[in-house]
Amino acid sequence: MNWTNVRLILEREVRDQLRDRRTLFMIFVLPILLYPLLGMVFLQIAQFVHEHPTSVFVVGGLPEAPEPALVVGSRFADELFTERADARLLIAHRGSALQLLNEAEQITHPQGAAAGKRNGAAPAKQAPDLAAKATSTPPAEPTAAAIAAAAEKLVRAGLYQVVVYFPPEFAPQLEAYRRSLSAGAPLDEQAAPVIPAPQLYFNAAQEKSQLARARVSEVLGQWRTKIGEQNLVAGNLPASAASCFRVVSHDVAEAGRREAAMWSKVFPFLLLIWALTGAFYPAIDLCAGEKERGTLETLLSSPAARTEIVWGKLLTVMLFSMATVVLNLVSLGITGLFVAGQLPQFGPPPWSSLLWLLLALVPVSALFSALCLALAAFARSTKEGQYYLMPLVLVTMPLVIVPMAPGVELTLGNSLIPVTGIVLLLRSVVEGDYANALPFVPPVVAVTVGCCLLSIRWAVDQFNSESVLFRESERVDLRVWLWRLLRDREPTPSVAEAVLCGVLILVIKFFLSFAVAIPTNFAGLAQSVVLSQLLVVLAPALVMTFLLTSNPRKTLLLVRARRWTLPAAALLALCVHPLANVLQRGVLKLYPIKDEVALQLESLFSGPANLWLMLLFVAVLPAICEELAFRGFILSGFRHLGHKWRAIVLSSVFFGLTHAVFQQSLITSLLGVLIGYLAVQTGSLWPGMVFHVTHNSLALLASRVTAADYERIAPLRWIANLAGERGLSYHWTAAALAAWATVSLLYWLHRQPYRMSPEESLQEAIDHHAAQSLMS
Amino acid sequence: MIHVRELTKAYTDLERGKFVALDRISFYALPGQIFGLLGPNGAGKTTALRILSTMLRPTSGTASVNGYDVVTQAAEVRHQIGFLSANTGVYDRMTAWEMVAYFGRLYGLPEDKLEARIDAIFSRLKMNDIRGVLGAKMSTGMRQKVSIARAIVHDPPVLIFDEPTTGLDVLVSRSLLRTVAELREHGKCIVFSTHIMREAEKLCDRVAIVHRGRIRACGTLAELREQHEQHDLEELFYQLISADSKLPDPRHSPLLEEYRG
Repeated sequence: MNWTNVRLILEREVRDQLRDRRTLFMIFVLPILLYPLLGMVFLQIAQFVHEHPTSVFVVGGLPEAPEPALVVGSRFADELFTERADARLLIAHRGSALQLLNEAEQITHPQGAAAGKRNGAAPAKQAPDLAAKATSTPPAEPTAAAIAAAAEKLVRAGLYQVVVYFPPEFAPQLEAYRRSLSAGAPLDEQAAPVIPAPQLYFNAAQEKSQLARARVSEVLGQWRTKIGEQNLVAGNLPASAASCFRVVSHDVAEAGRREAAMWSKVFPFLLLIWALTGAFYPAIDLCAGEKERGTLETLLSSPAARTEIVWGKLLTVMLFSMATVVLNLVSLGITGLFVAGQLPQFGPPPWSSLLWLLLALVPVSALFSALCLALAAFARSTKEGQYYLMPLVLVTMPLVIVPMAPGVELTLGNSLIPVTGIVLLLRSVVEGDYANALPFVPPVVAVTVGCCLLSIRWAVDQFNSESVLFRESERVDLRVWLWRLLRDREPTPSVAEAVLCGVLILVIKFFLSFAVAIPTNFAGLAQSVVLSQLLVVLAPALVMTFLLTSNPRKTLLLVRARRWTLPAAALLALCVHPLANVLQRGVLKLYPIKDEVALQLESLFSGPANLWLMLLFVAVLPAICEELAFRGFILSGFRHLGHKWRAIVLSSVFFGLTHAVFQQSLITSLLGVLIGYLAVQTGSLWPGMVFHVTHNSLALLASRVTAADYERIAPLRWIANLAGERGLSYHWTAAALAAWATVSLLYWLHRQPYRMSPEESLQEAIDHHAAQSLMS
Repeated sequence: MIHVRELTKAYTDLERGKFVALDRISFYALPGQIFGLLGPNGAGKTTALRILSTMLRPTSGTASVNGYDVVTQAAEVRHQIGFLSANTGVYDRMTAWEMVAYFGRLYGLPEDKLEARIDAIFSRLKMNDIRGVLGAKMSTGMRQKVSIARAIVHDPPVLIFDEPTTGLDVLVSRSLLRTVAELREHGKCIVFSTHIMREAEKLCDRVAIVHRGRIRACGTLAELREQHEQHDLEELFYQLISADSKLPDPRHSPLLEEYRG
């Protein structure tokens, strides 16, 4: 790669972006204005939220003095609030049950005043009038059910946020209770007067009603406490008897640490969001925009190699991504300092955290820039490019938000997840928890660098793909397209068809997993294996092979294997088994399996079922089906990519994903790489099947070894220990020996001549010439 | 200088299915000559020129530029050519001078010679008055001048012009053709595509008439006249193409007609 060209392209692109008004606005002007404006709006809204009064209808008779007052005028009593100022936010309407019914009636018949009168009830506006009448001829008290129905109607309609109903017996019974206390006789729990419970009606679907309920509950709680205290006094006990001590809590957070904890959640989030935004817009302009303006063709015909163009553009995008983040953080910081002065619960961020942010900024920007660049290169126009922002955000957001959930800690497992690892590590260092964070730096850095390189690779591939660079808008006639697809078949599937097959398998598997119950015994296991193998794995692959390819034998690699390759595959499986065993234990240590899942898995395989039948379902059937699908159809499709390793890795990713448990997926993906390599080097599906059968059988047998077996079979004792009740764990020497044998076998495989796909031969010719021109 | 043998390019297109844009075309072009690729719109000229300038890879067949293969030695090929596309490909937010200097540097011209070289080109193409004008503010004629300056800044032995006169007025188009003729005098090997017979007649030493991805006729102008017994080249071009157009298009796979018919 010629770095002079990269520098030239970088300089040009930066100058170009700086001359673009849109970019300047997004990156420089917006952040400077955004936070002060946001801060202003925030302060405004904060006031607005506090000023929101809620109204409560209090129905029924309340106890008279000397009981503490609940409602004074149109408010709840001030002393019942922890914050006295809150009292004015709860407006209390007192009224009789009848009035409640009237108001509810008014909702159903707003014009029905006359109808109301005929029923002996008056509209609410005439309530005082009614109250006067009520004294002369008291009407019958409405039933509790009628009141509940009326309260429901009023709260649902939002006329009142809460209705509290005190049953008619409430006040008299409370008084009776008090009297029996002051009589001095020890109160019998059974004989004590029962006080009916006041009913509180609220609407959980309305935020305002929820708020009012919380306030009213607090008030009622305080009121009950006060009544309780008076009861104690009446029973000749001190009022403090119910709460005879206090609990005092102390915050031991060091100065600044509390702020750090808050900022540690805000900063990584902002960093990632702005790094993404800052990368996205320049990337679109640099790739899709250049396509749109027709300058890309000129650049491609210049001596700048595709890799150099990508690097030049990538560095530009990174630069703008980082500038966006820095400017946003600076602007936020300044606004934050002023807001912090207003609100005591916010403190300024610790300065050391900014240093860590800057450090994390480089890999984060690099990752997002490369991703955006690859996406932008795919887009035909800037407009199409904008459409890709949403999917990108949807993919990235969970990785950013999940680590912010409470209780998610930095562990080795978490640190290996891209983006999430960075967020967690960043959180730890911003909180000042260096000792805990340090061990996770290598895995996070390794994963991030790996992802960056992969994304850059993707971007370079996009720039190498003429179908991406010279995409034109096409008319799509679905029927013609399908017709063509079936008639214009190639001998082997295309890359897109391979991806479709893999995705189809995953989707069918997802829906089938709901339809089929988790097996609990062997019969269930057999059933689910048959279903999942035949329906999920085999069916899509076979159907697609016969529909979309003209040479099913070539697609599914159903070619006679060369001499020695079959026994070699079996031997390889034998040697790999101890390594897989060690690997599995490592993976389980990293990502421990949930106990119930582990138990379930164990009970499935250690049952009393016939061993041969079990081998058929666990080893033979999956080997046949999965090999046909993943090493047959999918691998054959991916080999049109032009790189055999890329084809092998992609096919094994799909192979791994079809396994239910994540821990299992990880190991099967690695095994898939091995089997894929076998298939490519031998040009036949059979060695892979032999390997697969052997491997699965060995795994099953090893898991069934009992203590008695272990004692009986001497060779087992030479190579392995018994792990727990059942299962083996290999000695290190055995594992090392197996590793050596595996490497030798792989070397032998490597020496085998293999048939390249046309794309792979072409790629090799290009690489060969490139190497030659480098040497000369 | 340029050797094209049995060059084929097939795309897979959502609507048309497999589409053979170029069907086994062969031709050669020599230094000090202008080779004209003549054909109606959509004949496959741009595809052929994009393959020559290494932007597309042929499906089969070979092409070499100055002895370098366009697929396996793409980087060397790009140093040999100056490419001018139909849409001028001038950056909006760059001045004429910056644009030419940028490509000069990409071609590896040393900094001390760069300025003198650009100065010479700017004077020759009479574009000193647009030195500091941004691409976005230029007329089509100005843009085409900048493109030419950009294409010849590294003094390449081979020049590829893909319909350079599209959208130009008579004055500018004449001056452009004059420039191309001058470049021939300097011994360049020039491939020039156009759909206007008059241009080819005036300019080209040898022409190939391309239609529907195939070469229908190839040779010097005199040879073509003799072969087809038609003195008027415009008429000759028209006859060849209209005779061809009556037949079904061989580039589509037959299934589309099958489906529709």
